[in-house]
Amino acid sequence: MPSWQAVLRGLTYEGIPLWRHTRIIQWVLQVVSGILVVVLVVWFFANISGAIQDRDIPHGFGFLSREYQTSIGQHFLPYESTDSFLYAFVVATTNTIIVSILGVILATALGIFIGVSRMSGNWLVSKAALVYIEFFRNVPLLVQLFFWFYIVLALPTIQEEYVIADMLHINNRGVSMPWPDPVSAGAAWMFPVVLVVAAFAGVAVHRAMQRRETLTGAASYPMVLGVGASILIVAIGWVALSIAFDGAPFTISVPEARETQGGSHLHLGGFTASAGLMALLVGLVMYTSSFIAEIVRAGIQSVGRGQREAARSLGLPYLKALRHVTFPQSLRVIVPPMISQYLNLTKNSSLAGAIGFSDLTNVAKTMTQTAPAVSIFLLIMLAYLAMSLTYSLIGNLYNRHIRFS
Amino acid sequence: MSTNFDILPATELKPPVSERGIIGWVYSNLFSNRFNTTLTVVFGVILGAAAWFGLKWLIVDADWTVIGTLGGQMVIGQYNIEAACPGKNCFWRPQASLLLVTMLLGMGWGIIGGGLAKRIAIGVVAVLAAFSLLPYSLERMGLDVRLLLLANIPALAAGWALARYTPLGSARWLVVLAVGTFLVTLVLLRGVEGVPGLQPVSVIYWGGLMLNLLLAVAGIALSFPIGIALALGRRSRLPVVKLLCVVFIEVFRGVPLITLLFMSQVLVPLAFPEDFPLNSLLRAAIVITLFSAAYMAENIRGGLQALHRGQAEAAASLGLANWQTTLFITLPQAIRNVIPAIVGQFISLFKDTSLVYIIGMLDVVEISRVFIQGNPEFIPSAQELFIFLALVFWIFCYSMSYVSRRIEEHLGVGSR
Repeated sequence: MPSWQAVLRGLTYEGIPLWRHTRIIQWVLQVVSGILVVVLVVWFFANISGAIQDRDIPHGFGFLSREYQTSIGQHFLPYESTDSFLYAFVVATTNTIIVSILGVILATALGIFIGVSRMSGNWLVSKAALVYIEFFRNVPLLVQLFFWFYIVLALPTIQEEYVIADMLHINNRGVSMPWPDPVSAGAAWMFPVVLVVAAFAGVAVHRAMQRRETLTGAASYPMVLGVGASILIVAIGWVALSIAFDGAPFTISVPEARETQGGSHLHLGGFTASAGLMALLVGLVMYTSSFIAEIVRAGIQSVGRGQREAARSLGLPYLKALRHVTFPQSLRVIVPPMISQYLNLTKNSSLAGAIGFSDLTNVAKTMTQTAPAVSIFLLIMLAYLAMSLTYSLIGNLYNRHIRFS
Repeated sequence: MSTNFDILPATELKPPVSERGIIGWVYSNLFSNRFNTTLTVVFGVILGAAAWFGLKWLIVDADWTVIGTLGGQMVIGQYNIEAACPGKNCFWRPQASLLLVTMLLGMGWGIIGGGLAKRIAIGVVAVLAAFSLLPYSLERMGLDVRLLLLANIPALAAGWALARYTPLGSARWLVVLAVGTFLVTLVLLRGVEGVPGLQPVSVIYWGGLMLNLLLAVAGIALSFPIGIALALGRRSRLPVVKLLCVVFIEVFRGVPLITLLFMSQVLVPLAFPEDFPLNSLLRAAIVITLFSAAYMAENIRGGLQALHRGQAEAAASLGLANWQTTLFITLPQAIRNVIPAIVGQFISLFKDTSLVYIIGMLDVVEISRVFIQGNPEFIPSAQELFIFLALVFWIFCYSMSYVSRRIEEHLGVGSR
């Protein structure tokens, strides 16, 4: 009978001892790590379900149709506290999405401006941009949010508010501004369609005119004509909708300070952005734009110096050289990190709770007091992962677009 | 036929006034053309106005008493209040760990010798020693506290001497001692049951800047190796390992840290048996570490991807095993190439430690906010307080990025 050492020595695969064969080692490693993770996950779930049963913790998704019965501070969708949990969740998600979209647009504009300023040959402009970038990206967003929030709180009360041109009312509760007020619901719903059509038409005209200019050399004013076409279509659409629905889609409602019978003051009409929303937007935009500025700078620097010099020597002025030569080429370096900044901005908007704005995380946190935490956690994760995937999708589409064109 | 040229003595023509000296600099950097001049004037007016009103506010209008009133709470939170530490005599424990850290700084200075390490060590100790002279009354800030702060100076000298005159003066020992210091700090702060002078202090009272720094140091030290492992796992040819790493990275990157922190408070206690020793601080540290590790993994993966394949092939053809290739050839180069991204991640980890407010921990930001909320008479001073906090965080974060730039220069990134 062979000894156990002999058996061990005999255990070979492709002539190599098992414990030295890379393929075997790799498979063993994989199986072991897989089993470990599975065991861990099963253990967690067993513990959670055990805890749920033992401590009688509510679970499941039945709560979604129950009334939420809690108010949500500022919301963009109509909401009553008698609405269901599911609808409150949708309202909170919409809040996050709208803040993110606004933040992304403003942060991009400001970030590009500061990034380009950073590259300026003007010493003063460049150094001012440097100070901005180095300050805002090295201070936690939370501290910035509190700072802006307490600035808004330090504004005068509603009785002594600042009024700018009878339109903007600025006080310690936030900012009231004129806002489109739908007159007839049908026209109001159709109007965004008109806007989208106008935008596409404008881009199409712009492209066509640009091509004509490139091919023939005749001045074709692509920007003027493109914008003009958009405005024209919006105007025609406005008139057509007014006639079709018997009334203009929107009127502009201007906020008006009123004193109620109880002696308290409030604004009628317009749109009031709460202190939390204002602070959140300002904070997110300042913080994110400092990162975007660095991305823009790196992108512009990645374009060879010769490109800029060639453009200048062809007689393009500085800003035109930037717009038509340098910037388009730097986009492929800029876009991927920019997308990840957009995602960061969206996730950072979850700090809203600290300054009393009801974003997704904040509402979900309140919900856990009356609803099962496990289910809510799964819901928020789903919502945020959906948002990340959307950003990745846009990023990938854009990447493919610039790679093949 | 020969031509005679008169060879004139070379006369030195000086460059025109517009090209040299201060005038030349101002001309070419501020007023080189009409556009530039307009920019300078517009920005000058705006910045001048901002500076004027900013300085006026900082010096005349701002009321900085709120910072003095909060004082030590910003540094150690509620660590030394009566509820946390009966007798209020626990203040020396954070201070003692600070002395150990100062010794490490001194050792670093001794080992590296001069340069940046020296400036950092001396700067930190100078600030700490200056704190001992704060104009508080002796009841508010006792002589013992002040002496322990001043003791940082001899501690620095002791660390330097240790590095210079004993066999401990090597980078390897410094790492070992740093880990040791961190563990000793934890024990000191937590306390030991039954030992006089070291009565246990519950982690719920740990706070202030001390908490931010503890979380940041632990997070940085742990998320780096975990991130490397995840990055290697994601690039692995083994499908199971790769899948696990991808899922982990994407889930942690897809959800805001604050959501994860909050859920760590609600869900994680359910996922472990009831008597499992996991306190809120530990949970927060684990979540912050894992979150940061997921980002770190992506940064390092970027570095690995950017590395030319020839490096690994050359290593393989020299007969290095896979693990040797990774450990000695690809990984060091990949990490060197992404130092800015890695340090950026460290910085954002440090900034993110302020998010622990969501689980009720009183870090330096939250304790300030709670103070403002609890003392409405200070609401007008909130701006001063948060500007001060911004400055504190800025100093830490900017130093980190400054050091990283110096390390990059030292390693010759981009010039090799």
